[in-house]
Formats: sequence, structure tokens, C-alpha cells
Amino acid sequence: MTLNRKPPPPAAGRILDAQLHLMDRQVLDVDAVPVTTVDDLELTDVDPNAEIPPGSPAPVIISLLTGPALGTRIFGGRPPSRRLVRIPWTDVSDVSVVIRLGVSGEHLDAGWVQRWVRDKIIARIPGGDHDPG
Amino acid sequence: MILGDLLGLPVFGTPSRGSAAGEYDGGRLGKVADARFVLDGQPHQLTSDARLLGLIVSPHSSGSFLGYERTEVRHPWPLPQLLRWRHRGSFLVLWEDIAFIGREEVQLRQGFTAYSTALDRPE
Repeated sequence: MTLNRKPPPPAAGRILDAQLHLMDRQVLDVDAVPVTTVDDLELTDVDPNAEIPPGSPAPVIISLLTGPALGTRIFGGRPPSRRLVRIPWTDVSDVSVVIRLGVSGEHLDAGWVQRWVRDKIIARIPGGDHDPG
Repeated sequence: MILGDLLGLPVFGTPSRGSAAGEYDGGRLGKVADARFVLDGQPHQLTSDARLLGLIVSPHSSGSFLGYERTEVRHPWPLPQLLRWRHRGSFLVLWEDIAFIGREEVQLRQGFTAYSTALDRPE
């Protein structure tokens, strides 16, 4: 029944459904190093108090959001906007099974916890500052 | 606007005035189950802007699982059949037909068109 309706007008670009193709996908940087997963998306604003004038440009994705989402997924709600880390959409190079970035993850805010653990804890363990072997 | 705030919101039609009420005019139509984007916006060095093409509205469920209802995948039985039934009646409404996106609800324009949610190619 769902598939029997009239198809929408053909679009010029690739189609992405947020829940199916973007949310919860792993994000890899330009060197194929895992950076994070996508917890949410930030779009350009729509005034929540006014009707949308006909012909208004559609919102676009500004950034991928990641952050402390585990607790709010269990108990409901979402983390405050300021607690979410943003990866600009302009850094995204490809969307497939994973989302690939065209930049190094070493300088993204999304990986600061891992970098901190690596530099402050792991590196101080004897033998922890170089590859094994 | 954060997309997570939009997903799950109830969707209402705009009541028609005087004319015969259509199938979808007025009343609660369902919940926002997903948002469909198209990569045809302003081009950048790595990709193009992802423009909101429309919203997928499901009358019975705000969640979505693997998108079986948007493809012709039939296996493994009975999962696709069950999930397709759970999302029966879901439709895609284009951005041009959305009149209002508030904090508590989404309202569609009068005489909006309900399109198929089918994806061209399953992924």
C-alpha cells in the first residue's frame, strides 16, 4: 500500500533518508580511522512560531552531531545543544555503509576524549607510547 | 534546528473551509518517521548541500527499522511483511507542502500531495 502511491518528482541528486542512511552510522576520517558515530543532525533553522511562506528555501544539513546520547536514548529527551559536538557537513566526502570525511579526525572535537586518554593515560604506561613489536 | 526534535512529532493536515474534505484534510495524519534529503544543493569541495526534500509520515508508528517499508525487499520472511504492515499508509510529503514546523507539531498545506515513500534503490 505504501509503495503504491504516486512517486515523487525525480530529484537531481542522490536521495538520503536520515534514519536509514545517516543516523547511527560510523564516521571515518580521510585515513579511514574511526572518529565517532552520528547521533543527530543539525539543519538550518525554521521559525517554530510562524507559518513557512510558500517558496521558502528548504533547510539543509549544517552538521553531523555526536555527543553523550546514551543516557537520553534510554531515559528520553536529548542532550543540551551546547553539549553536542558538531562535524560540518562540508567535511563529509561520501555516504555509504559508513560516512567518510575528507579531513583528518585528529583535529576534530569529536575525538578529543580518545586523544586525551591516549596522550594522558595510555602514553604513560610503559611501552604505551609506541606500536608493539 | 535539530532533526531529533522533528522526528516523532505529530503531523496534522490543514482543515478545508467550505469545500468537501479530502482524504487527508484536517485531523491527525500520523507522526514524522523520517526526513528525506537530496544532495542537490550548493556544491562544495567534497560534497553538495543536503536539502530537505520532505518528511515521511507514518500513521501508525514514529519509528523505523531498516526501511523495509520503503523497498521491495521480501526476505527474510516474515520481517519485511510485518514491518511493512506496521508502516501501512505511510507517505512522503514534500517541503513545498509543509505549512508549519513547530515545537509540538507539523502542519501540512491544504491540498498537499502524499507521495510514495519508495526508495529508488535499496541500501
